[in-house]
Amino acid sequence: MQEDKRQKIRQALREVKNLPTLPGIVIKLTKMAEDPETTTEQMGKLISKDHILAAKLLKLVNSSFYGFPQRISSLSSAIILLGFNVIKSLIISASIFEFMEDNDIELWEHSLGCAVVCSVLAKRLGVSDPDEVSTAGLIHDIGKVAIKLELGPEYRKIHEMVVGQEFSMLEAEMQTLEVNHAEVGGWLTKTWNLPSKLVEPIAMHHNPGAAKNEKMAAAIVHFADIMIRGMGYGHGDDIWVPPLDNNAWRLLGLAPQDLDEILAQVEEKLWEVKGFSLDIKSGFEA
Amino acid sequence: MPRILVAGQVPLIPPEGEILFEAKGYQLIFVSDPHVAVNTLLEDPPDFLITELGFGSSDLQLINTVKACLQKANMPILLVLPADVMPTMDWHRFQVDDVVVRPYTPEVLLARVQLAESRMVRVFDNNPLSRLPGNTSILRAIQRTLESGVAYGVCYLDIDNFKPYNDRYGFSQGDDVILMVARIAVNVVEELAREDSFIGHVGGDDFVVIVPEAKIVPVCEKILANFEVVKNMFLSREDIDAGVYRAKDRQGRDTTYGLLSLSIAVVPVEHNKFKHYGEVSAAASQVKHLVKEREGSNYMIDRRDSYQPNEAG
Repeated sequence: MQEDKRQKIRQALREVKNLPTLPGIVIKLTKMAEDPETTTEQMGKLISKDHILAAKLLKLVNSSFYGFPQRISSLSSAIILLGFNVIKSLIISASIFEFMEDNDIELWEHSLGCAVVCSVLAKRLGVSDPDEVSTAGLIHDIGKVAIKLELGPEYRKIHEMVVGQEFSMLEAEMQTLEVNHAEVGGWLTKTWNLPSKLVEPIAMHHNPGAAKNEKMAAAIVHFADIMIRGMGYGHGDDIWVPPLDNNAWRLLGLAPQDLDEILAQVEEKLWEVKGFSLDIKSGFEA
Repeated sequence: MPRILVAGQVPLIPPEGEILFEAKGYQLIFVSDPHVAVNTLLEDPPDFLITELGFGSSDLQLINTVKACLQKANMPILLVLPADVMPTMDWHRFQVDDVVVRPYTPEVLLARVQLAESRMVRVFDNNPLSRLPGNTSILRAIQRTLESGVAYGVCYLDIDNFKPYNDRYGFSQGDDVILMVARIAVNVVEELAREDSFIGHVGGDDFVVIVPEAKIVPVCEKILANFEVVKNMFLSREDIDAGVYRAKDRQGRDTTYGLLSLSIAVVPVEHNKFKHYGEVSAAASQVKHLVKEREGSNYMIDRRDSYQPNEAG
Protein backbone atom coordinates (compact mmCIF):
# COMPACT_ATOMS: atom_id res chain seq x y z
CA MET A 1 0.00 0.00 0.00
CA GLN A 2 2.66 2.43 1.07
CA GLU A 3 4.92 1.50 -1.81
CA ASP A 4 2.02 2.15 -4.16
CA LYS A 5 1.58 5.71 -3.04
CA ARG A 6 5.30 6.38 -3.19
CA GLN A 7 5.36 5.06 -6.74
CA LYS A 8 2.54 7.40 -7.73
CA ILE A 9 4.30 10.37 -6.25
CA ARG A 10 7.49 9.37 -7.93
CA GLN A 11 5.66 9.18 -11.21
CA ALA A 12 4.15 12.63 -10.72
CA LEU A 13 7.55 14.10 -9.91
CA ARG A 14 9.12 12.56 -12.95
CA GLU A 15 7.09 15.10 -14.92
CA VAL A 16 8.87 17.98 -13.22
CA LYS A 17 10.34 19.99 -16.05
CA ASN A 18 11.00 23.53 -15.10
CA LEU A 19 11.11 24.51 -11.46
CA PRO A 20 10.24 28.17 -11.04
CA THR A 21 12.48 30.67 -9.32
CA LEU A 22 12.35 34.26 -8.09
CA PRO A 23 11.66 36.91 -10.73
CA GLY A 24 14.22 39.23 -9.14
CA ILE A 25 17.09 36.87 -9.94
CA VAL A 26 15.93 36.15 -13.45
CA ILE A 27 15.50 39.86 -14.19
CA LYS A 28 18.98 40.56 -12.88
CA LEU A 29 20.51 37.72 -14.90
CA THR A 30 18.67 38.73 -18.06
CA LYS A 31 20.10 42.23 -17.74
CA MET A 32 23.57 40.79 -17.26
CA ALA A 33 23.22 38.53 -20.27
CA GLU A 34 22.40 41.50 -22.48
CA ASP A 35 25.42 43.46 -21.28
CA PRO A 36 28.47 42.67 -23.44
CA GLU A 37 30.77 43.49 -20.52
CA THR A 38 29.37 40.67 -18.39
CA THR A 39 31.69 37.75 -17.85
CA THR A 40 30.64 34.15 -17.51
CA GLU A 41 32.02 34.17 -13.96
CA GLN A 42 29.79 37.05 -12.92
CA MET A 43 26.75 35.19 -14.13
CA GLY A 44 27.97 32.03 -12.47
CA LYS A 45 28.33 33.84 -9.18
CA LEU A 46 24.74 34.95 -9.31
CA ILE A 47 23.47 31.52 -10.38
CA SER A 48 25.29 30.05 -7.37
CA LYS A 49 23.04 32.15 -5.14
CA ASP A 50 19.84 30.57 -6.40
CA HIS A 51 18.95 27.00 -5.50
CA ILE A 52 16.69 26.52 -8.51
CA LEU A 53 19.06 27.85 -11.15
CA ALA A 54 22.00 26.04 -9.57
CA ALA A 55 20.06 22.77 -9.75
CA LYS A 56 19.08 23.52 -13.34
CA LEU A 57 22.69 24.19 -14.26
CA LEU A 58 23.86 20.91 -12.74
CA LYS A 59 21.05 19.02 -14.41
CA LEU A 60 22.08 20.49 -17.76
CA VAL A 61 25.80 19.81 -17.46
CA ASN A 62 25.12 16.25 -16.32
CA SER A 63 22.62 15.49 -19.07
CA SER A 64 23.80 13.01 -21.66
CA PHE A 65 23.44 15.57 -24.43
CA TYR A 66 26.57 17.38 -23.29
CA GLY A 67 28.42 14.11 -23.16
CA PHE A 68 30.54 14.49 -20.03
CA PRO A 69 30.88 11.00 -18.65
CA GLN A 70 32.20 12.47 -15.43
CA ARG A 71 29.42 13.55 -13.15
CA ILE A 72 29.93 17.21 -12.38
CA SER A 73 29.22 18.61 -8.93
CA SER A 74 30.98 21.94 -9.18
CA LEU A 75 29.00 24.96 -10.31
CA SER A 76 32.08 26.82 -11.50
CA SER A 77 33.23 23.84 -13.57
CA ALA A 78 29.74 23.53 -15.03
CA ILE A 79 29.82 27.16 -16.08
CA ILE A 80 33.27 26.89 -17.63
CA LEU A 81 32.32 23.78 -19.59
CA LEU A 82 28.93 24.97 -20.80
CA GLY A 83 30.07 28.46 -21.76
CA PHE A 84 28.42 31.85 -21.98
CA ASN A 85 25.93 31.05 -24.72
CA VAL A 86 24.53 27.98 -23.02
CA ILE A 87 24.28 29.87 -19.73
CA LYS A 88 22.39 32.59 -21.57
CA SER A 89 19.95 30.04 -22.97
CA LEU A 90 19.57 28.59 -19.51
CA ILE A 91 18.53 31.99 -18.21
CA ILE A 92 16.11 32.52 -21.07
CA SER A 93 14.60 29.12 -20.36
CA ALA A 94 14.22 29.80 -16.63
CA SER A 95 10.67 29.98 -15.45
CA ILE A 96 9.49 32.20 -12.63
CA PHE A 97 6.78 31.78 -10.03
CA GLU A 98 3.38 32.65 -11.40
CA PHE A 99 2.12 33.53 -7.98
CA MET A 100 4.93 34.25 -5.69
CA GLU A 101 4.41 33.89 -1.99
CA ASP A 102 6.49 35.05 0.93
CA ASN A 103 7.33 31.43 1.55
CA ASP A 104 9.11 31.16 -1.77
CA ILE A 105 11.42 33.98 -0.78
CA GLU A 106 11.91 32.50 2.67
CA LEU A 107 12.90 29.15 1.20
CA TRP A 108 15.28 30.81 -1.24
CA GLU A 109 16.89 32.71 1.61
CA HIS A 110 17.04 29.59 3.76
CA SER A 111 18.76 27.69 0.94
CA LEU A 112 21.32 30.41 0.37
CA GLY A 113 21.93 30.65 4.12
CA CYS A 114 22.35 26.91 4.39
CA ALA A 115 24.96 27.01 1.61
CA VAL A 116 26.86 29.70 3.50
CA VAL A 117 26.91 27.65 6.72
CA CYS A 118 27.94 24.53 4.79
CA SER A 119 30.82 26.40 3.24
CA VAL A 120 32.06 27.69 6.61
CA LEU A 121 31.69 24.27 8.24
CA ALA A 122 33.27 22.33 5.36
CA LYS A 123 36.30 24.59 5.30
CA ARG A 124 36.69 24.41 9.07
CA LEU A 125 36.42 20.63 9.08
CA GLY A 126 38.89 20.38 6.23
CA VAL A 127 36.74 18.34 3.85
CA SER A 128 38.38 17.83 0.48
CA ASP A 129 35.86 19.79 -1.60
CA PRO A 130 34.07 22.49 0.43
CA ASP A 131 32.31 23.93 -2.64
CA GLU A 132 30.65 20.61 -3.26
CA VAL A 133 29.18 20.50 0.25
CA SER A 134 28.08 24.09 -0.08
CA THR A 135 26.30 23.24 -3.35
CA ALA A 136 24.56 20.32 -1.68
CA GLY A 137 23.47 22.75 1.03
CA LEU A 138 22.19 25.20 -1.56
CA ILE A 139 19.90 22.69 -3.25
CA HIS A 140 19.05 20.52 -0.23
CA ASP A 141 15.39 21.61 -0.18
CA ILE A 142 14.77 21.31 -3.92
CA GLY A 143 12.25 18.58 -3.10
CA LYS A 144 10.01 21.17 -1.45
CA VAL A 145 9.81 23.24 -4.60
CA ALA A 146 8.97 20.16 -6.66
CA ILE A 147 6.22 19.05 -4.26
CA LYS A 148 4.68 22.49 -4.31
CA LEU A 149 4.77 22.65 -8.09
CA GLU A 150 3.66 19.15 -9.00
CA LEU A 151 1.51 18.03 -6.08
CA GLY A 152 -0.64 21.10 -5.54
CA PRO A 153 -3.51 19.57 -3.52
CA GLU A 154 -1.15 17.59 -1.31
CA TYR A 155 1.03 20.63 -0.83
CA ARG A 156 -1.94 22.70 0.30
CA LYS A 157 -2.87 20.00 2.76
CA ILE A 158 0.68 19.90 4.12
CA HIS A 159 0.72 23.67 4.37
CA GLU A 160 -2.59 23.63 6.22
CA MET A 161 -1.25 21.07 8.69
CA VAL A 162 1.90 23.10 9.28
CA VAL A 163 0.22 26.47 9.70
CA GLY A 164 -3.10 25.43 11.23
CA GLN A 165 -2.17 22.45 13.37
CA GLU A 166 1.46 23.22 14.14
CA PHE A 167 2.82 20.08 12.54
CA SER A 168 6.43 20.14 11.51
CA MET A 169 6.96 20.07 7.77
CA LEU A 170 8.49 16.59 7.94
CA GLU A 171 5.57 15.13 9.90
CA ALA A 172 2.99 16.77 7.64
CA GLU A 173 4.77 15.43 4.57
CA MET A 174 5.00 11.92 5.95
CA GLN A 175 1.32 11.90 6.86
CA THR A 176 0.21 13.27 3.51
CA LEU A 177 2.71 11.83 1.04
CA GLU A 178 4.39 9.03 3.00
CA VAL A 179 7.64 10.47 1.77
CA ASN A 180 9.47 13.63 2.79
CA HIS A 181 11.00 16.42 0.76
CA ALA A 182 14.53 15.19 1.40
CA GLU A 183 13.77 11.85 -0.21
CA VAL A 184 12.01 13.63 -3.07
CA GLY A 185 15.06 15.84 -3.54
CA GLY A 186 17.19 12.70 -3.63
CA TRP A 187 14.99 11.13 -6.32
CA LEU A 188 15.05 14.26 -8.42
CA THR A 189 18.76 14.89 -8.28
CA LYS A 190 19.39 11.22 -9.00
CA THR A 191 17.15 11.33 -12.10
CA TRP A 192 19.05 14.41 -13.18
CA ASN A 193 22.26 12.42 -13.07
CA LEU A 194 23.83 14.55 -10.38
CA PRO A 195 26.81 12.90 -8.66
CA SER A 196 26.06 10.90 -5.55
CA LYS A 197 28.25 13.31 -3.60
CA LEU A 198 25.36 15.74 -3.98
CA VAL A 199 22.46 13.27 -4.08
CA GLU A 200 23.26 11.59 -0.77
CA PRO A 201 23.54 14.67 1.44
CA ILE A 202 20.35 16.05 -0.14
CA ALA A 203 18.39 12.83 0.33
CA MET A 204 19.70 12.28 3.86
CA HIS A 205 19.68 15.77 5.27
CA HIS A 206 17.07 14.79 7.84
CA ASN A 207 18.51 11.38 8.63
CA PRO A 208 22.24 11.74 7.99
CA GLY A 209 22.92 8.41 9.65
CA ALA A 210 21.50 6.66 6.59
CA ALA A 211 24.19 8.12 4.31
CA LYS A 212 26.52 5.44 2.97
CA ASN A 213 29.43 7.14 1.24
CA GLU A 214 28.91 10.77 2.06
CA LYS A 215 28.46 10.64 5.81
CA MET A 216 30.39 13.82 6.50
CA ALA A 217 28.69 15.86 3.80
CA ALA A 218 25.27 14.64 4.95
CA ALA A 219 26.12 15.56 8.54
CA ILE A 220 27.27 19.04 7.51
CA VAL A 221 24.14 19.77 5.46
CA HIS A 222 22.01 18.36 8.27
CA PHE A 223 23.59 20.61 10.86
CA ALA A 224 23.75 23.67 8.58
CA ASP A 225 20.02 23.32 7.90
CA ILE A 226 19.36 23.36 11.64
CA MET A 227 21.80 26.13 12.38
CA ILE A 228 20.48 28.54 9.75
CA ARG A 229 16.95 27.84 10.94
CA GLY A 230 18.03 28.64 14.45
CA MET A 231 19.55 31.90 13.26
CA GLY A 232 16.21 32.84 11.75
CA TYR A 233 17.58 33.54 8.28
CA GLY A 234 14.78 32.44 5.97
CA HIS A 235 12.77 29.34 6.70
CA GLY A 236 11.39 26.24 5.04
CA ASP A 237 7.66 26.87 5.26
CA ASP A 238 7.37 25.75 8.86
CA ILE A 239 9.09 27.80 11.51
CA TRP A 240 10.32 24.89 13.63
CA VAL A 241 13.93 23.90 13.91
CA PRO A 242 14.28 20.23 12.94
CA PRO A 243 15.75 17.82 15.53
CA LEU A 244 19.49 17.31 15.63
CA ASP A 245 20.83 13.85 14.90
CA ASN A 246 23.22 12.86 17.68
CA ASN A 247 25.49 10.72 15.56
CA ALA A 248 25.86 13.46 12.99
CA TRP A 249 26.72 15.89 15.74
CA ARG A 250 29.38 13.53 17.06
CA LEU A 251 30.77 13.02 13.57
CA LEU A 252 31.23 16.77 13.19
CA GLY A 253 33.16 16.78 16.47
CA LEU A 254 32.43 20.42 17.24
CA ALA A 255 32.83 21.97 20.68
CA PRO A 256 30.68 24.84 21.99
CA GLN A 257 33.50 27.34 21.53
CA ASP A 258 33.80 26.22 17.91
CA LEU A 259 30.18 27.16 17.46
CA ASP A 260 30.83 30.71 18.63
CA GLU A 261 33.51 31.14 16.01
CA ILE A 262 31.40 29.50 13.32
CA LEU A 263 28.47 31.75 14.17
CA ALA A 264 30.64 34.83 13.84
CA GLN A 265 31.97 33.68 10.46
CA VAL A 266 28.53 32.82 9.18
CA GLU A 267 27.11 36.14 10.29
CA GLU A 268 29.88 38.00 8.53
CA LYS A 269 29.21 36.09 5.31
CA LEU A 270 25.47 36.52 5.62
CA TRP A 271 26.04 40.22 5.92
CA GLU A 272 27.63 40.10 2.47
CA VAL A 273 24.61 38.41 0.92
CA LYS A 274 22.10 40.51 2.84
CA GLY A 275 22.34 43.47 0.50
CA PHE A 276 21.91 41.16 -2.43
CA SER A 277 18.95 39.53 -0.78
CA LEU A 278 17.25 42.91 -0.33
CA ASP A 279 17.99 43.65 -3.97
CA ILE A 280 16.24 40.52 -5.10
CA LYS A 281 13.23 41.18 -2.93
CA SER A 282 12.87 44.75 -4.13
CA GLY A 283 13.32 43.54 -7.71
CA PHE A 284 10.34 41.34 -7.12
CA GLU A 285 8.20 44.11 -5.72
CA ALA A 286 9.11 46.55 -8.48
CA MET B 1 40.23 30.46 -55.63
CA PRO B 2 37.78 27.53 -55.76
CA ARG B 3 37.37 26.13 -59.24
CA ILE B 4 34.04 24.82 -60.42
CA LEU B 5 33.82 22.45 -63.34
CA VAL B 6 30.53 23.15 -65.15
CA ALA B 7 29.98 20.10 -67.36
CA GLY B 8 26.88 20.12 -69.57
CA GLN B 9 25.84 19.99 -73.19
CA VAL B 10 24.57 23.52 -72.78
CA PRO B 11 26.10 25.96 -70.30
CA LEU B 12 24.48 25.22 -66.94
CA ILE B 13 25.21 28.74 -65.80
CA PRO B 14 23.94 31.40 -68.20
CA PRO B 15 26.44 34.13 -69.22
CA GLU B 16 24.66 36.71 -67.05
CA GLY B 17 25.07 34.41 -64.02
CA GLU B 18 28.81 34.00 -64.42
CA ILE B 19 29.54 37.36 -62.88
CA LEU B 20 27.70 36.30 -59.75
CA PHE B 21 30.02 33.35 -59.22
CA GLU B 22 33.11 35.33 -60.10
CA ALA B 23 32.15 38.01 -57.62
CA LYS B 24 32.22 35.33 -54.91
CA GLY B 25 35.67 34.26 -55.96
CA TYR B 26 34.80 31.15 -57.96
CA GLN B 27 36.54 30.31 -61.17
CA LEU B 28 34.21 28.65 -63.69
CA ILE B 29 35.47 26.05 -66.16
CA PHE B 30 32.88 25.28 -68.83
CA VAL B 31 33.13 21.94 -70.63
CA SER B 32 30.62 20.57 -73.14
CA ASP B 33 32.54 17.48 -74.19
CA PRO B 34 32.16 14.54 -71.74
CA HIS B 35 35.67 13.24 -72.46
CA VAL B 36 37.23 16.56 -71.78
CA ALA B 37 35.22 16.69 -68.59
CA VAL B 38 36.48 13.32 -67.36
CA ASN B 39 39.97 14.28 -68.30
CA THR B 40 39.76 17.51 -66.40
CA LEU B 41 38.52 15.61 -63.35
CA LEU B 42 41.48 13.28 -63.54
CA GLU B 43 44.32 15.53 -64.43
CA ASP B 44 43.34 18.91 -63.11
CA PRO B 45 40.65 18.24 -60.52
CA PRO B 46 38.42 21.17 -59.68
CA ASP B 47 37.02 21.86 -56.21
CA PHE B 48 33.43 21.42 -57.25
CA LEU B 49 31.43 19.75 -60.02
CA ILE B 50 28.16 20.92 -61.53
CA THR B 51 26.75 18.53 -64.14
CA GLU B 52 23.45 17.46 -65.61
CA LEU B 53 21.64 14.18 -65.92
CA GLY B 54 22.27 12.55 -69.30
CA PHE B 55 25.68 14.12 -69.81
CA GLY B 56 28.31 11.65 -71.00
CA SER B 57 28.14 8.14 -72.32
CA SER B 58 26.45 6.93 -69.19
CA ASP B 59 24.64 8.85 -66.54
CA LEU B 60 27.12 7.85 -63.89
CA GLN B 61 30.34 8.39 -65.77
CA LEU B 62 31.32 11.73 -64.32
CA ILE B 63 29.95 11.02 -60.89
CA ASN B 64 31.89 7.79 -60.59
CA THR B 65 35.06 9.45 -61.76
CA VAL B 66 34.82 11.67 -58.76
CA LYS B 67 33.47 9.33 -56.12
CA ALA B 68 35.60 6.32 -56.98
CA CYS B 69 38.73 8.20 -56.06
CA LEU B 70 39.33 8.61 -52.35
CA GLN B 71 41.22 11.86 -52.78
CA LYS B 72 38.36 13.37 -54.67
CA ALA B 73 35.56 11.88 -52.62
CA ASN B 74 35.12 15.17 -50.84
CA MET B 75 34.53 17.10 -54.05
CA PRO B 76 30.86 18.15 -53.91
CA ILE B 77 28.69 17.33 -56.93
CA LEU B 78 25.60 19.25 -57.90
CA LEU B 79 23.27 17.52 -60.35
CA VAL B 80 20.87 19.44 -62.60
CA LEU B 81 17.85 17.42 -63.70
CA PRO B 82 14.20 17.73 -64.70
CA ALA B 83 11.64 17.45 -61.92
CA ASP B 84 9.71 14.54 -63.44
CA VAL B 85 12.55 12.01 -63.16
CA MET B 86 13.19 12.79 -59.48
CA PRO B 87 10.92 10.09 -58.04
CA THR B 88 12.64 7.39 -60.11
CA MET B 89 16.19 8.29 -59.06
CA ASP B 90 18.22 5.85 -57.03
CA TRP B 91 20.31 8.18 -54.85
CA HIS B 92 22.49 5.36 -53.60
CA ARG B 93 23.80 4.94 -57.10
CA PHE B 94 23.88 8.64 -57.85
CA GLN B 95 26.18 9.79 -55.13
CA VAL B 96 25.67 13.47 -55.60
CA ASP B 97 25.51 16.05 -52.83
CA ASP B 98 22.59 18.10 -54.01
CA VAL B 99 20.18 18.51 -56.91
CA VAL B 100 18.79 21.52 -58.74
CA VAL B 101 15.64 21.34 -60.84
CA ARG B 102 15.16 23.24 -64.07
CA PRO B 103 14.32 26.03 -64.40
CA TYR B 104 16.55 27.68 -61.80
CA THR B 105 18.17 31.04 -61.29
CA PRO B 106 21.93 31.48 -61.00
CA GLU B 107 21.35 32.85 -57.49
CA VAL B 108 19.88 29.54 -56.34
CA LEU B 109 22.70 27.63 -57.96
CA LEU B 110 25.28 29.79 -56.20
CA ALA B 111 23.62 29.28 -52.84
CA ARG B 112 23.55 25.52 -53.36
CA VAL B 113 27.22 25.51 -54.27
CA GLN B 114 28.15 27.45 -51.16
CA LEU B 115 26.03 25.28 -48.92
CA ALA B 116 27.44 22.07 -50.34
CA GLU B 117 30.93 23.41 -49.83
CA SER B 118 30.49 24.37 -46.21
CA ARG B 119 28.75 21.08 -45.51
CA MET B 120 31.61 19.17 -47.05
CA VAL B 121 34.19 20.98 -44.94
CA ARG B 122 32.19 20.17 -41.81
CA VAL B 123 31.62 16.53 -42.57
CA PHE B 124 35.02 15.58 -43.87
CA ASP B 125 37.31 17.60 -41.81
CA ASN B 126 35.76 17.76 -38.38
CA ASN B 127 37.36 15.85 -35.58
CA PRO B 128 35.05 12.99 -34.65
CA LEU B 129 35.60 13.52 -30.93
CA SER B 130 35.39 17.28 -30.52
CA ARG B 131 33.62 18.08 -33.81
CA LEU B 132 36.00 20.94 -34.25
CA PRO B 133 37.49 21.66 -37.68
CA GLY B 134 40.47 19.43 -38.49
CA ASN B 135 43.76 19.81 -40.29
CA THR B 136 42.54 20.94 -43.69
CA SER B 137 40.58 23.76 -42.13
CA ILE B 138 43.44 24.62 -39.79
CA LEU B 139 45.92 24.94 -42.63
CA ARG B 140 43.48 27.09 -44.55
CA ALA B 141 42.81 29.26 -41.52
CA ILE B 142 46.53 29.81 -40.90
CA GLN B 143 47.15 30.59 -44.56
CA ARG B 144 44.22 33.04 -44.55
CA THR B 145 45.69 34.68 -41.48
CA LEU B 146 49.07 35.05 -43.16
CA GLU B 147 47.51 36.62 -46.24
CA SER B 148 45.28 38.99 -44.30
CA GLY B 149 48.09 41.38 -43.34
CA VAL B 150 46.47 41.73 -39.92
CA ALA B 151 48.27 40.78 -36.70
CA TYR B 152 47.04 37.53 -35.18
CA GLY B 153 48.32 35.03 -32.67
CA VAL B 154 48.40 31.39 -33.72
CA CYS B 155 48.22 29.46 -30.45
CA TYR B 156 49.15 25.78 -30.25
CA LEU B 157 47.59 24.05 -27.23
CA ASP B 158 48.53 20.69 -25.92
CA ILE B 159 48.20 18.68 -22.75
CA ASP B 160 51.46 17.97 -20.92
CA ASN B 161 52.41 14.34 -20.29
CA PHE B 162 49.27 13.12 -21.92
CA LYS B 163 50.61 9.67 -22.66
CA PRO B 164 51.32 8.77 -19.03
CA TYR B 165 47.90 10.19 -18.13
CA ASN B 166 46.28 7.86 -20.65
CA ASP B 167 48.29 4.93 -19.32
CA ARG B 168 47.16 5.66 -15.80
CA TYR B 169 43.53 6.59 -16.31
CA GLY B 170 42.70 4.83 -19.55
CA PHE B 171 42.00 6.08 -23.06
CA SER B 172 38.36 6.73 -22.47
CA GLN B 173 39.08 9.18 -19.67
CA GLY B 174 41.88 10.62 -21.78
CA ASP B 175 39.26 11.41 -24.40
CA ASP B 176 37.18 13.14 -21.76
CA VAL B 177 40.10 15.39 -20.92
CA ILE B 178 40.55 16.23 -24.61
CA LEU B 179 36.87 17.04 -24.84
CA MET B 180 37.12 19.24 -21.78
CA VAL B 181 40.03 21.21 -23.27
CA ALA B 182 38.03 21.65 -26.48
CA ARG B 183 35.04 22.95 -24.55
CA ILE B 184 37.12 25.33 -22.49
CA ALA B 185 38.91 26.75 -25.53
CA VAL B 186 35.69 27.18 -27.52
CA ASN B 187 33.91 28.86 -24.62
CA VAL B 188 36.77 31.22 -23.82
CA VAL B 189 37.22 32.28 -27.44
CA GLU B 190 33.47 32.65 -27.80
CA GLU B 191 33.41 34.95 -24.81
CA LEU B 192 36.58 37.00 -25.25
CA ALA B 193 37.33 36.99 -28.96
CA ARG B 194 34.24 36.00 -30.89
CA GLU B 195 35.14 38.03 -33.98
CA ASP B 196 37.90 36.91 -36.31
CA SER B 197 38.87 33.84 -34.36
CA PHE B 198 39.30 30.20 -35.19
CA ILE B 199 39.62 26.95 -33.27
CA GLY B 200 40.72 23.67 -34.77
CA HIS B 201 41.57 20.23 -33.46
CA VAL B 202 44.77 18.90 -35.00
CA GLY B 203 44.16 15.50 -33.45
CA GLY B 204 44.95 13.78 -30.17
CA ASP B 205 45.57 16.38 -27.50
CA ASP B 206 46.65 19.13 -29.94
CA PHE B 207 44.56 22.18 -30.72
CA VAL B 208 45.10 25.38 -32.67
CA VAL B 209 43.45 28.63 -31.65
CA ILE B 210 43.83 31.75 -33.80
CA VAL B 211 42.89 35.08 -32.23
CA PRO B 212 43.54 38.77 -33.03
CA GLU B 213 46.82 39.86 -31.47
CA ALA B 214 45.22 42.01 -28.80
CA LYS B 215 43.37 38.97 -27.47
CA ILE B 216 46.35 36.61 -27.17
CA VAL B 217 47.08 37.27 -23.50
CA PRO B 218 43.50 37.35 -22.17
CA VAL B 219 42.52 34.24 -24.12
CA CYS B 220 45.59 32.23 -23.05
CA GLU B 221 45.27 33.26 -19.42
CA LYS B 222 41.58 32.46 -19.27
CA ILE B 223 42.00 29.08 -20.95
CA LEU B 224 44.71 28.11 -18.46
CA ALA B 225 42.77 29.45 -15.46
CA ASN B 226 39.63 27.56 -16.47
CA PHE B 227 41.61 24.41 -17.09
CA GLU B 228 42.99 24.63 -13.55
CA VAL B 229 39.46 24.95 -12.15
CA VAL B 230 38.09 21.97 -14.01
CA LYS B 231 41.00 19.55 -14.17
CA ASN B 232 40.59 17.98 -10.73
CA MET B 233 37.43 16.36 -12.00
CA PHE B 234 39.67 14.10 -14.05
CA LEU B 235 42.14 13.18 -11.33
CA SER B 236 41.80 10.76 -8.47
CA ARG B 237 41.73 12.10 -4.94
CA GLU B 238 44.87 10.10 -4.25
CA ASP B 239 46.81 11.78 -7.07
CA ILE B 240 45.51 15.25 -6.19
CA ASP B 241 46.69 14.80 -2.61
CA ALA B 242 50.10 13.54 -3.71
CA GLY B 243 50.41 16.33 -6.30
CA VAL B 244 52.26 13.98 -8.66
CA TYR B 245 52.08 10.41 -9.80
CA ARG B 246 54.67 7.85 -10.68
CA ALA B 247 54.55 5.95 -13.94
CA LYS B 248 56.90 4.35 -16.42
CA ASP B 249 58.23 6.58 -19.17
CA ARG B 250 58.66 5.55 -22.80
CA GLN B 251 61.85 3.72 -21.91
CA GLY B 252 60.15 1.86 -19.10
CA ARG B 253 61.85 3.76 -16.32
CA ASP B 254 60.00 4.89 -13.22
CA THR B 255 59.32 8.60 -13.58
CA THR B 256 57.41 11.18 -11.59
CA TYR B 257 54.85 13.15 -13.56
CA GLY B 258 53.05 16.33 -12.62
CA LEU B 259 49.27 16.27 -12.63
CA LEU B 260 47.37 17.43 -15.70
CA SER B 261 48.61 20.70 -17.13
CA LEU B 262 48.26 22.58 -20.37
CA SER B 263 50.89 24.34 -22.48
CA ILE B 264 50.23 27.01 -25.10
CA ALA B 265 52.87 28.07 -27.61
CA VAL B 266 51.91 31.31 -29.35
CA VAL B 267 53.34 32.50 -32.65
CA PRO B 268 52.32 36.06 -33.47
CA VAL B 269 52.00 36.52 -37.23
CA GLU B 270 52.26 40.05 -38.57
CA HIS B 271 54.13 42.23 -41.06
CA ASN B 272 54.71 39.40 -43.50
CA LYS B 273 56.88 37.59 -40.97
CA PHE B 274 55.84 34.27 -42.48
CA LYS B 275 54.93 33.27 -45.98
CA HIS B 276 53.74 29.75 -45.46
CA TYR B 277 51.93 27.88 -42.70
CA GLY B 278 54.83 25.43 -42.47
CA GLU B 279 57.00 28.23 -41.16
CA VAL B 280 54.44 29.03 -38.49
CA SER B 281 54.29 25.48 -37.22
CA ALA B 282 58.09 25.22 -37.25
CA ALA B 283 58.33 28.36 -35.12
CA ALA B 284 55.59 26.98 -32.87
CA SER B 285 57.40 23.73 -32.23
CA GLN B 286 60.44 25.67 -31.02
CA VAL B 287 58.33 27.72 -28.62
CA LYS B 288 56.51 24.61 -27.51
CA HIS B 289 59.78 23.07 -26.54
CA LEU B 290 60.54 26.02 -24.26
CA VAL B 291 57.11 26.29 -22.68
CA LYS B 292 57.09 22.57 -21.94
CA GLU B 293 60.23 22.89 -19.88
CA ARG B 294 58.28 24.88 -17.32
CA GLU B 295 56.31 23.11 -14.69
CA GLY B 296 52.52 23.27 -14.69
CA SER B 297 50.23 25.13 -17.05
CA ASN B 298 51.91 27.93 -19.02
CA TYR B 299 51.78 29.92 -22.19
CA MET B 300 54.65 31.51 -24.04
CA ILE B 301 54.60 34.02 -26.85
CA ASP B 302 57.32 33.93 -29.48
CA ARG B 303 58.80 37.43 -29.29
CA ARG B 304 61.61 36.94 -31.79
CA ASP B 305 61.63 39.86 -34.24
CA SER B 306 62.53 37.91 -37.28
CA TYR B 307 62.17 34.30 -38.00
CA GLN B 308 65.20 32.12 -38.63
CA PRO B 309 64.33 28.61 -39.61
CA ASN B 310 67.43 27.12 -37.99
CA GLU B 311 67.23 28.87 -34.67
CA ALA B 312 67.20 26.24 -32.01
CA GLY B 313 64.47 26.27 -29.38
